[in-house]
Amino acid sequence: MSDDYPSLLRSERMSLVQLFVPTEVAHDTVHELGELGDVQFKDLNPSVNPFQRSFVGEIRRIDDMSRRTRFFDAQIEKEKDVVPVRPLYECAPLLTVGPRSAQTVDELDTTLSQYESKLTTLNESYQTLSERTRELTEARHVLRETAVFFDKAHTQTSNIRSSFDDSATPLLTSHDDREGGYSAGSFDLEFVAGTIERSRVPTFERVLWRVLRGNLYMNHTDIAEPFIDPSTNAETRKNVFIIFAHGDVVLAKIRKVAESMGATIFPIDANADKRADALREVENRLEDLQTVLYNTGIGRRAELVKIGESLRVWQDVVKKEKLIYETLNLFNYDVRRKTLIAEAWVPTRDLTKIQLALRHATEESGTSVPPILHELQTSKTPPTFHRTNKFTEGFQAIMDSYGISAYQEINPGLFAITTFPFLFAVMFGDIGHGFIILIAAVYMILREKAMAKQDNGEIIGQFFYGRYIILMMGLFSIYTGFLYNDLFSKTLHLFHSGWTFPDNSTRGVYTGHTYPFGLDPAWHGATNALVFTNSYKMKMSIVLGVIHMTFALCLQVPNHFRFKRKSDIYTNFIPQMLFLQSIFGYLVLCILYKWSVDWTKSPVSPPSLLNMLITMFLEPGKVDPEKQLYPGQGFVQTVLLGIAGVCVPWLLISKPYLAWREMHKTTGAGYVTLGNGEETAIARHSTDETLEGEEEGNGRAIAEGDEEHEGHDFGDVVIHQIIHTIEFCLGCISHTASYLRLWALSLAHAQLSEVLWSMTLDGRTDPKSIGGWIGLGIMGFMWLNLTIGILCLMEGLSAFLHALRLHWVEGNSKHFEGGGYPFAPLSFAGEGSKEA
Amino acid sequence: MASLFPIFLVLAITLGLMSASFLFVRKGPNQAVIRTSLMLTFAVCYLTWMVTYLAQLHPLMVPTFSAPPAHTA
Repeated sequence: MSDDYPSLLRSERMSLVQLFVPTEVAHDTVHELGELGDVQFKDLNPSVNPFQRSFVGEIRRIDDMSRRTRFFDAQIEKEKDVVPVRPLYECAPLLTVGPRSAQTVDELDTTLSQYESKLTTLNESYQTLSERTRELTEARHVLRETAVFFDKAHTQTSNIRSSFDDSATPLLTSHDDREGGYSAGSFDLEFVAGTIERSRVPTFERVLWRVLRGNLYMNHTDIAEPFIDPSTNAETRKNVFIIFAHGDVVLAKIRKVAESMGATIFPIDANADKRADALREVENRLEDLQTVLYNTGIGRRAELVKIGESLRVWQDVVKKEKLIYETLNLFNYDVRRKTLIAEAWVPTRDLTKIQLALRHATEESGTSVPPILHELQTSKTPPTFHRTNKFTEGFQAIMDSYGISAYQEINPGLFAITTFPFLFAVMFGDIGHGFIILIAAVYMILREKAMAKQDNGEIIGQFFYGRYIILMMGLFSIYTGFLYNDLFSKTLHLFHSGWTFPDNSTRGVYTGHTYPFGLDPAWHGATNALVFTNSYKMKMSIVLGVIHMTFALCLQVPNHFRFKRKSDIYTNFIPQMLFLQSIFGYLVLCILYKWSVDWTKSPVSPPSLLNMLITMFLEPGKVDPEKQLYPGQGFVQTVLLGIAGVCVPWLLISKPYLAWREMHKTTGAGYVTLGNGEETAIARHSTDETLEGEEEGNGRAIAEGDEEHEGHDFGDVVIHQIIHTIEFCLGCISHTASYLRLWALSLAHAQLSEVLWSMTLDGRTDPKSIGGWIGLGIMGFMWLNLTIGILCLMEGLSAFLHALRLHWVEGNSKHFEGGGYPFAPLSFAGEGSKEA
Repeated sequence: MASLFPIFLVLAITLGLMSASFLFVRKGPNQAVIRTSLMLTFAVCYLTWMVTYLAQLHPLMVPTFSAPPAHTA
């Protein structure tokens, strides 16, 4: 593999760089590097409280701005049907770098606060106006209803009283000399009128009755329309009430009770003319209010529309500025020299790109002082960075979910691009179902650009993220579908079958010609079809499993070379390989050999491989000649057993022995180790001298803080090796058996497919009547839905999960070390999904 | 006549295809991915085909039906 291009085989080589950034360029530099998305800054002030960092003031201001944009967002959200928000790529951009950037941000701050105050005032006045409208509406109802009461009472009293048709006649009076134009207070029978919530009315009546001992007359009616509270959109239903009573004390009590029950009291005149006047006045005021309310609404909407035109660009700017200042807070500030010192991890390959970006930032900002980039030597572990593209990122993500690879170790994600869809397909093999998931994947890929922009929701978003994985899964499934000869539970007859059924017999006769590609269609529908396919699939699972594990084991070797521990090849790799091959490699060879022998021409009947393996362990060396697979088997098996037996102590002891020898060599040579081996003493690079030479001011880059030591304690090595040996040896057996899931799932899939066919479309494909056609239509529809829902989606997810498990447990345990941390560069694009 | 010859023939073809993909994939940022994927694909496709073919070469059981099957050979 050439070194000019990045390869997914290992994570990229990273360098620790130091940046000396003059304060004037700092903002623009970080902006440029953020757009680039290739630099991971380290926190040089880990012990500093977030409230004591240098750029806290700016961050506070930006937080205010972002709060305002969130407020606008919420306001527009409430009226989103009427107020359009222009998407980001259509907005006019705001320039936040260069000599005018500070001005732009200040202007933005002012604009945002102005809009905020405008909107708040508009909202408040709208609120107040709505309140007034409500009160006036209630007053209008009260006026109307009390008019009804008074009229009713008037008709009643005219039966009681003999004189006056004057509408100003009081209802009941003991004084005949009172006449005309009285205010409510001067009547002997006074009243209190108002509104109260409907639910409170019975309680109100009861309380009044008890308090006043029945000395009252109350009437109430419903108000038909409910009142809607504009801020909470809650409906309340109210009633109008009027209470007649006599005496100041009584009236005061009534008023108190009414207020305590949350009723609103309205001053109503007993005089009908005055009431009519009041009603007219209320109506006029209501009309005016409605107009003002309407205008306020229009004005508010206009404001929101104006905001909506630029809201996205504001949110973008605010978000970027926040990130920039948070990053600037990570830097070390040298007060005397007016520079900021930053440390960052950068892929070594991209150093030139970063240099160009820095130069570009200087030009943009208009200053002449460029930031200086300086590479550091360090023994710290760099982050793990796999450079992926849209095709490989899905596969890398699913392997990263198990654990991030250690720095520069072999990346299992590269091989998973092929092996994962392949193992999926072994469990999913069906031409038709493979085709369905293939077209689903192709559809998503063709609509990539559009789908990437929209918010697809969690579930569809997950499928979209894995569209290339699904594509590969579909392709491989079609291939294994041809091999299993399964198309929606039917078989294809592409070639001449290897079986004939002479004279209409029920038992096949082998013609000697093997079906060249896949499973012979003669097996379809046979009563013993499952016996044959089970044997075939189980053996295939074991063969594929052992080969997969061998492959994964071999991936150890490049790691041993890269990390300079060649001895591990002899202490770990070779005993592991010999152990695996002498038992399970031998089993695979026996499977293949047994298949290749024509047992009809052999004097021995075909032996059971399972029994053979068991007796290999229980009775080594003894092979019954009637049941032997090949001559000399006993001897070969004893040798293999011996090799496996030797491998266990070899694996267990050799590495600790070497570590013990090393330890004695170093202590013998007089080195006083700090509990570490010789290796770390060599690996440590002192960088303090280099740094002191550069710095003279207060700022000191804390590049060498804590050392990283691996505990090369002898005890640790022993324990680790014991665990490793047990895990590997037991794991060999359990993992090999675990691969039988390849058989199990493909069996389940085939059976489900067959059952679905037999329960829906079987026998209905040749309709002979209208009913038949209708049945075909309905059942066909059901068949299609269940195929997609159960066989493709459910079985697909199941096979996906199991294939993933095989990679994570059976595959990775043979070579994967893990323990790395992912490369997390400052990237504006990456933070795109987070809100401002 | 069923023999082991096709297995070795197709093995040779597969090895040829694997070598060709190793040698002739042009340099570029995706060379490693394309090479690995192609080689692995050829290898696993061969393996599964080979196992299927081998399993039916000298079958130990015959397909039996409850009623005589009506199909063309």
